[in-house]
Amino acid sequence: MKEGFRQAMAWLHTWAGLIFGWLLFAIFLTGTLAYFKDEITHWMQPEVQARESKGGEFFYRFHFQLQMPYPWGRWLSTIAAMVMFVALITGIITHKKIFKDFFTFRPRKGQRSWLDGHNAVGVLVLPFHLMITYSSLVIFMSMVMPAPIVASYGDDSRAFFNELFPNTNNAPALGQPGQLLPLLPLYQQAREQWAGGHVGRVAVNNPGDANASVNVFRAGSDSVVHASGSTLSFNGTTGELLRGSAEPSLATAIGGSFYGLHMGHFAGPVLRWLYFICGLAGTAMIGTGLVIWLGKRQLKHAKAAVMPFELRLVEVLNIASMSGLMIAIAAFFWANRLLPVSFAARSDWEVQAFFIAWGLSLLHALLRRGRQGWVEQLSFGALLFAAIPLLNAITTAHHLGVSVPNGDWAMAGFDLTCLASGMFLAWAAWKMHHRTAPQPKAERARGLTLKQQAH
Amino acid sequence: MLLALLMCYAGFTALCLSTDRHHDELLHCKPTPTRRLALRVGGWLLLAVSIWPAVLGAGWGQGLVEWCAVLMLSALLLVLLLPYRPRLALILAGLGLLASPVAAFALS
Repeated sequence: MKEGFRQAMAWLHTWAGLIFGWLLFAIFLTGTLAYFKDEITHWMQPEVQARESKGGEFFYRFHFQLQMPYPWGRWLSTIAAMVMFVALITGIITHKKIFKDFFTFRPRKGQRSWLDGHNAVGVLVLPFHLMITYSSLVIFMSMVMPAPIVASYGDDSRAFFNELFPNTNNAPALGQPGQLLPLLPLYQQAREQWAGGHVGRVAVNNPGDANASVNVFRAGSDSVVHASGSTLSFNGTTGELLRGSAEPSLATAIGGSFYGLHMGHFAGPVLRWLYFICGLAGTAMIGTGLVIWLGKRQLKHAKAAVMPFELRLVEVLNIASMSGLMIAIAAFFWANRLLPVSFAARSDWEVQAFFIAWGLSLLHALLRRGRQGWVEQLSFGALLFAAIPLLNAITTAHHLGVSVPNGDWAMAGFDLTCLASGMFLAWAAWKMHHRTAPQPKAERARGLTLKQQAH
Repeated sequence: MLLALLMCYAGFTALCLSTDRHHDELLHCKPTPTRRLALRVGGWLLLAVSIWPAVLGAGWGQGLVEWCAVLMLSALLLVLLLPYRPRLALILAGLGLLASPVAAFALS
């Protein structure tokens, strides 16, 4: 009975992981990049605003909207998050020796190494995976579980959002002219209220109207708990405090801390790098899982001249979703530097370049045989990434020779990270090129006995 | 965060050495029962105590998040180092233990 349960969970892990793996890989990688969205934007707009570009915001938006019209992208990413959660839980149940194999990683052993790697990045970084997946469900809870909202608020879901996000509930314009107060005193008053806390954003609604209101938002970097209630709202013409920040209830504080933990706005540079590495580990976990799925089944068909259609399909999608996405990301950065600064709709064309490159890599994966497809795409991606510091030096005056002495670490860090990514992809391409072809088990066993006989 | 990192890494190394298989791989012998127990207790203690510098440095909210991050990544670092550079993995743990009083002094 117990083995039957574990087998059922393994089945669910295998198939849920496969069907959503490609999408989750993209969601995880772009979400990981979004931790540095300000730094990416800084690199993509070195002249400050002169260059029209979506910058890091593109990755952040794609991460949960998937470039689809509202609300479909959000729905799809929420469903993917749910599947991710299921895959994590079933993965824990399926993994027989979590503690015994806790420190185990055996490289250069083919399929065994992939499984070891999948388990290592899965188990060792498990708290992050659970936190990031569960918190994404909390963030989209009004979509995932609307029943409690409907039960408490009936059809008036607006009332729910007004209560949860009071800063969206502002007085409508009266249509009578009014004089807006200077903003600095309101800013200072807010900081006093928060005992020296920082202001993240100031929003003015209906400026010039008698009913103008000024919302002062507290900075996310102040606390791990993201408190949507910690916004002060002032009347824009009289300066009267309309809404203060109430002490959040326990439920709001828990919800807010999941939100804050997911976004990581509170994290300084070091902690953000740790977030970034955890995100990469999650991406690696999904990628290794996809490779394992295919590798296991390929062994059975190693001798056949043609792979069955379904395995070939998985292989093509694996290549396009992993190495293809890397190429697409690099193409996005290249387009940023190569499109003329004054080009009309250039930020749209950067995004176009991303998707065109991705589409082309899918086409390439269809045309080339498995391993060649991998090697060529990884090598091309390596070239694109490694050349980004050079491209930056040719097209702008912010190359490493300038950014490092000036202490512009966001700019220098971007160039160096691209260089490191290029080197990683080159290493992966090299490994893939020199990999021994997978052999079926019987063949390998026979090879061993032959060797023994020779001794 | 540095002190917490050093302690977590050393703690995980001790826990790793407390298993027969890894002790054999790294030091080429099986651990005696006393040593196994000492390594296990020491490892868990280091992991538990490393919360203290993390929280002291950054407060409870941020400190616990930093501790979790350091806990996960020190284990990941150890596991990735072990098959490729086993000696370096052990040396790092030793150096970490040696350096932690200095780091503790800098913290206080």
